[in-house]
Amino acid sequence: MIRVPQESTGFANAPRLRRFRGRRRVPLFGWLMALPAIVVLLAVTVYPLVYSLRKSFYRIELTFSPVPEYVGIRNYVDAIQHDPRFWHAMERSLYLVGVGVTVELVLGLALAHVLNRIGRGRNIATALLLVPAMIAPVAVAIQGVVIFNDRWGPLNYVLKQSGVSHPPAWLADRTFALNTILLADIWQWTPFVAVIMLAGLRTLPGDVYEAAAVDGASRWQLFRTLTLPLLQPLIIITVLIRAMDVFKTFDTVYVMTGGGPGDATETASFYTFLQGLRFFSFGYAAAISYIQLAIISIVATILIRRMRKGLAT
Amino acid sequence: MSARVVRLGLDWLVIVVALAFFLLPVIWIFLTSFKAQIEVFHYPPVFWPKAFGSFTHYSEILHGTGGDALEASAIVASANTVLSLLVGVPTAYSFSRFRVGGQHLAFWVLSVRMLPPVVSAIPLFLLFQQWHMLDTYWALIIAYLTFNVPFVVWFVKGFFDDLPRDLEEAALVDGANRWQAFTGIALRLAVPGIVTAALLAFMFSWNEFLLALFLTRSQVRTVPVALANLIGGHEIVWGQIGALTILAIIPTVALALALQRYVVRGLTFGAVKG
Repeated sequence: MIRVPQESTGFANAPRLRRFRGRRRVPLFGWLMALPAIVVLLAVTVYPLVYSLRKSFYRIELTFSPVPEYVGIRNYVDAIQHDPRFWHAMERSLYLVGVGVTVELVLGLALAHVLNRIGRGRNIATALLLVPAMIAPVAVAIQGVVIFNDRWGPLNYVLKQSGVSHPPAWLADRTFALNTILLADIWQWTPFVAVIMLAGLRTLPGDVYEAAAVDGASRWQLFRTLTLPLLQPLIIITVLIRAMDVFKTFDTVYVMTGGGPGDATETASFYTFLQGLRFFSFGYAAAISYIQLAIISIVATILIRRMRKGLAT
Repeated sequence: MSARVVRLGLDWLVIVVALAFFLLPVIWIFLTSFKAQIEVFHYPPVFWPKAFGSFTHYSEILHGTGGDALEASAIVASANTVLSLLVGVPTAYSFSRFRVGGQHLAFWVLSVRMLPPVVSAIPLFLLFQQWHMLDTYWALIIAYLTFNVPFVVWFVKGFFDDLPRDLEEAALVDGANRWQAFTGIALRLAVPGIVTAALLAFMFSWNEFLLALFLTRSQVRTVPVALANLIGGHEIVWGQIGALTILAIIPTVALALALQRYVVRGLTFGAVKG
């Protein structure tokens, strides 16, 4: 046990303390403590990634030619030039990111404003709203399969009762299926975005708003000129986290549509899974996963750079 | 005054509608877990099942694939959580107190958390195949380190950042070494943060699907994989699927309600202190 004095005097061991606080010289102890996670991450992510990069220059068909054949950059050329199915899958993933994150942000901000206005009961409402974010995406997808079923699902029954004579076959119709997947994501994550935004709204300076309101600013003006700029760092973080997450969309596709009808809901992750575990073309799957990694790294770098500016306090 | 009352009423109306929208699907699955097959396919839909409160489907699924799946998920998630903490907490402390590697190293760790699972799933599949580790607990316990170690580092780092350094410095003045200052003071004060990190890391493992799908077959089958298999099976028994879905989400929903303050902080890796 270490005896802890009530006040630290700081004189006795000044040089040692300076090193403890200092930014320039990291003591050996600091490096040793940093090692565990760095070593583990090198082993479980960097090493597999390097391995994967090497494999992406091979043709590996586990089914009919188990001996890998070196093909140089042909997997990449094939993906970029001769595989429209891959690019359609990429487009769908980016569509989900663009539309999904935007809708979640707009709805989340609106809901956060309402939550911010109610006083009592806010905490209970917030806790209940966080339930969807904690549920396994596979469980969300199972809810989706039941609710969106076009023959016996409750949603279309309600729609018919409210006068929609031909409600859509949500999961079986090419034109709706991808948006149904999107709806599942929006359902799961809008409340989470709302709760983040609420946390931001609670920190805003009330007196500034009062002063601006006295000066005759409209509510929309207040939102545009005060709220949005003040929430910007928070919005960027949220967009970054959500964008990375939506881009990976896989679980809901696997369970709700299996990529279909046709290829209507194949996302980048799902198509990579098909190339790997269904077609057993692991070299090709490695190559297209690298292309995805390159694209999202560019997006993430831009966002993280902005985030660091916001966080570097 | 009355205008204010109307406003508050409207606000509450919005909240109630939102809560209904976001909770009804969960309630619907809960009700489905009691329904006989014929009630599931009935049109117009049956809202309240006849056998409400009878846990037949629950015991059926628990004695079948569901019980094994819950066990597998619990083993994988617990072992992975313990490892992630052992590895992640010292690094979190080091990042917080010594800024090892500066912001670059810390953000590199964060970027690993953002890695799409499919990107690591492909090489991990090939490597585990070579090492004859496919379809074992260890395959998932190791694979899940890819997202839980970065999570623990960032989340717990935030808690260390919040702790005053004075106490540790005082201990150093008193002659304690750095390791003693870490275990005797910082670690103890960060216990609430570490426990929260453990619960959330457990949840991330518990909910994970893609890596489990790649790395396991029949010996080890976690709950999400079991659920997906049930949906893809020949005869879909909806009551049992509903029951297993509810069993899968009960622990995480309990967490959401218990950890309310920390959920947002956890899901944003400590970036947002809600």
